[in-house]
Amino acid sequence: MLGIADYLWRLIPGNPILLRVVENAGKKRRDMVIRCAYLGLLVTVVLFTLWTSGENFGDLAALARESTDLFQKMSRLQLGLVALLSPIFTAGAITQERDSQTYDILLATPLTNGQIVLGSLLSRVFFVVALLVSGIPIFAVTQIFGGVAISSIVYSFLIAASTAMVTGAMAMAIATFKIGTRRTIFSFYLFIIVYLVGGFLLDRVDFFHLKYIDASGVPVHTSTSWMTALNPFLALRVIFKDQGYMPPNLADLPEGYQSWPMNWFWTSPATFYFGFMFFLSFAMMAPSILLLRRLAQTTTSLRSWVLQKVGLSKGDRTRKPRAVWHNPIAWREAKTKASAARATFLRYGFIVLGMTGAVVLLVMHSNEQTPKQFINHSYDPSKNTLYIEGTGLPEIPVAPSVEVKIGDDPGTIDDLNGRYQVKNYTLDANQAIATIDLDEFPRRLPSADARSWLLGLTIVEFSVILLIMANAAASAVTREKEDGTLDLLLSTPITSRYYIWGKLRGLVAFVLPLVAVPVASVFIFIVHDVFRWLAARDASFDWIVFPEALITMPAMLIIVCAFAAILGMQMSLRCRTTVRAVMSSVGIIVGACAAMGWCGFAVLNTSGSISSELGVAIGSFSPFTLLTILIDPYEYAGSAFQHSAGTNYDPSGARIVAFVVCLVALAVYALGIWSMYKAMVKNFDMTIRKQSR
Amino acid sequence: MAAVIKTVNLTKRYGTLVALSNLNLEINEGDCFGFIGPNGAGKTTTIKILATLLQPTWGEARVCDYVVGYQSRSIRPLIGYVPDYFGAYEDMVVQEYLEFFAAAYNINGSQRNKIVSDVLELTDLGYKRDALVDGLSRGMKQRLSIARVLVHDPKVLLLDEPAGNLDPRARIEMRELLKELRRMGKTIVISSHILPELADLCNTVGIIEQGELLYSGPVADIVKRARAGTVIVVGVVRAPEQAAALLAQHPDVDAVAPNNGFLQVSLKNGVQDFSFIASQLIAGGFQVNLIREEEVNLETAFMRLTKGMVQ
Repeated sequence: MLGIADYLWRLIPGNPILLRVVENAGKKRRDMVIRCAYLGLLVTVVLFTLWTSGENFGDLAALARESTDLFQKMSRLQLGLVALLSPIFTAGAITQERDSQTYDILLATPLTNGQIVLGSLLSRVFFVVALLVSGIPIFAVTQIFGGVAISSIVYSFLIAASTAMVTGAMAMAIATFKIGTRRTIFSFYLFIIVYLVGGFLLDRVDFFHLKYIDASGVPVHTSTSWMTALNPFLALRVIFKDQGYMPPNLADLPEGYQSWPMNWFWTSPATFYFGFMFFLSFAMMAPSILLLRRLAQTTTSLRSWVLQKVGLSKGDRTRKPRAVWHNPIAWREAKTKASAARATFLRYGFIVLGMTGAVVLLVMHSNEQTPKQFINHSYDPSKNTLYIEGTGLPEIPVAPSVEVKIGDDPGTIDDLNGRYQVKNYTLDANQAIATIDLDEFPRRLPSADARSWLLGLTIVEFSVILLIMANAAASAVTREKEDGTLDLLLSTPITSRYYIWGKLRGLVAFVLPLVAVPVASVFIFIVHDVFRWLAARDASFDWIVFPEALITMPAMLIIVCAFAAILGMQMSLRCRTTVRAVMSSVGIIVGACAAMGWCGFAVLNTSGSISSELGVAIGSFSPFTLLTILIDPYEYAGSAFQHSAGTNYDPSGARIVAFVVCLVALAVYALGIWSMYKAMVKNFDMTIRKQSR
Repeated sequence: MAAVIKTVNLTKRYGTLVALSNLNLEINEGDCFGFIGPNGAGKTTTIKILATLLQPTWGEARVCDYVVGYQSRSIRPLIGYVPDYFGAYEDMVVQEYLEFFAAAYNINGSQRNKIVSDVLELTDLGYKRDALVDGLSRGMKQRLSIARVLVHDPKVLLLDEPAGNLDPRARIEMRELLKELRRMGKTIVISSHILPELADLCNTVGIIEQGELLYSGPVADIVKRARAGTVIVVGVVRAPEQAAALLAQHPDVDAVAPNNGFLQVSLKNGVQDFSFIASQLIAGGFQVNLIREEEVNLETAFMRLTKGMVQ
């Protein structure tokens, strides 16, 4: 009995690995700064909310409303910070085995697998949990005003804590199964971002919501989705009791969803989220605990084994040499980074997924659905009759003064000899067609939806490319500093100009195949539209993507990638460690894109104060706004592209403005790259010398 | 012979720490110069300055008459630098690694292929041409480092502990390779802690401690300098205490000390002739089975000249 108690005591409270971290907690200056910044942010939110509140605090109901608003803001901020900080504090576990010699020493001690795994995990999660605990007094402010249930606060903390826990468990599992390298840390961050953002976006797609007929026979479309119980931000939204985002009642759910665990999943997504995440953490840790020492004894990592099985790696540590370019620095950046088995897998994965997505969109868009009633070149001018399929009627006479409408535009009697969906028609006293509303055949994916999906696809692809570029550029110099190869290069005749230019050229060449994916996606739509346009010969033809995108889009994407590369290299040159350089450059690039995108969209949607063409002109400077103008201007690019009913509109003016300004923007980006490049060349020796010890 | 490397009052400070202090050094063409000193003595700093990777705080360093710092670009094609670690690139095979550095020296086309093949043959790495650099053994990596600095046929090789952490066979192979390079006329500056090998390889050495050069010159001279006086090792069949007492009475003997069953007889300064030892012992009835002059090697010289102080 004492043995079990002693084991349990040594497993967590008396775990020497955890104790070392807990005892030293708070002594590090960096940790203190982060803790102060975290609490400072929470306090700022409280003060700002109270200051900007228009509520009358003499009214208890108003106080409660204010308190609810405050709680929601703080919870979102808390979860956002935990989601941001957890990977930072736990990702280090991935390369722990390689970087630290202490791992082998720990394995050689009498510590059990459980003590080592739980000690390592909890010591990494400890800081985030300590942050959460330190925020409790600030959350307690809401209890003074009322309006927020204590259970909501507890749930909010549990959602944040389980998010931190599952992040840490994932990092530990990667470390134990030896599938991690330094580069895995970046993939780990990327996975978490994609999971959080992806879940949030998928929640907006109708497909992921439950549709059923409730007990009273009313069709129900749930506001929560399959993503709600799996995404912390969506689960958090549920505990806010937002009327627009309420989980369904148990009694209303279809029969198949009334048993455990589906009933829990749908009716209480918040508790399911943290319950499931704690379980998932345990499930990921269990194999690590069981197999830790056995896996440590193996000479082949799981990653190598998988790569060998899928034929991406032979495992024999040899291969045919490739030709080295005239500029070896550029060659190294472009070729050796991309040739590693994992990088090959990711690149091909990206290309295959991106192109598959585009082709699926195109197929869905080009696939017409047969409407209930339609005409198919069935107008007989000699008899002046029209056969409408789907009505079950024979040929119907057409009144000479028939009013034809195609979509929102007026048509002529000759249009009846086309191929259109018949939305409606009326007969006059002679039983002849007096008015007829026609429209294009409906598509499985209508043009507007095709544009939205294509825009979303290209924006996601370009965001991933930018993140990959930021990571590659930020590690370009620091990795050479860390492994000592920079000194070897600096003792050769390679000049700083040659070195930086080679890096820049190589990095751009490295992402070119990736940039080709969104460009090719757009290209296939343009080719498809060209054939449609040739068939239609219509000046006001609605392009899914404007053809000039084939010039402006690749040019803009490449120049922005080059800009991200030079920015990342700047950080890489200044920072001593790769992790710091990557974090800084990713932060700057994400911040810059967010700011530019926000400004661009704000300008595009501004009406009245500036002309719509000027909005398009300013918007064309931002890559994401330019993508929007090129792909889905009707939805997002303001009145310059708005199609008013009954008007013969022509957006060519706005298109010319966007094209010309895009060229100017390219020149501005190129100038920025050039000036940063010159500055880097000038300061290279000085910066490197300062860092040499 | 012309000095290929020359330093004048070379000083390097890192903040308040003086890594090098007024180092004056001259290494002639074709010399193999061994740089000896305790850890932190300033060997790596000196080599890094000569490799144009560091700027001196004070003083001047010249390589082939070009001044480090002002004419570094002219120096770089003339030197080959091997640091005390192996700078490995991920996912490169041996041939690519050498071609990469050949391209860095602007060697391209068919000339590059030929040179890389020649260097692989010279360093006996031809059969490892397709092997990933990451997977090579430490000895192979060191040999590849030497191969790397040979692709551009430099006049001067700056080698910072090239034999560190190598097994005996790899060390011997490395020494033979360096001897071959010396025969090819390269000027070699090598720092190492393995003094017997330096003594075998180098014709000149420099001993540095706490950033100050204690000695620089031919190996034979340092040994002579380290020897304070002549020491004779004497073996007698029995009663070594009485033999020691007898020898101590001689006017030319400074001291007699027992050592592992033998007697170490230190002669007074200026006394070179030790024939009296045998005659005196025989006259005293002792049976002598050994008389030889004690050798002073580089290790002994190093221990006598340095104090073991580190910064």
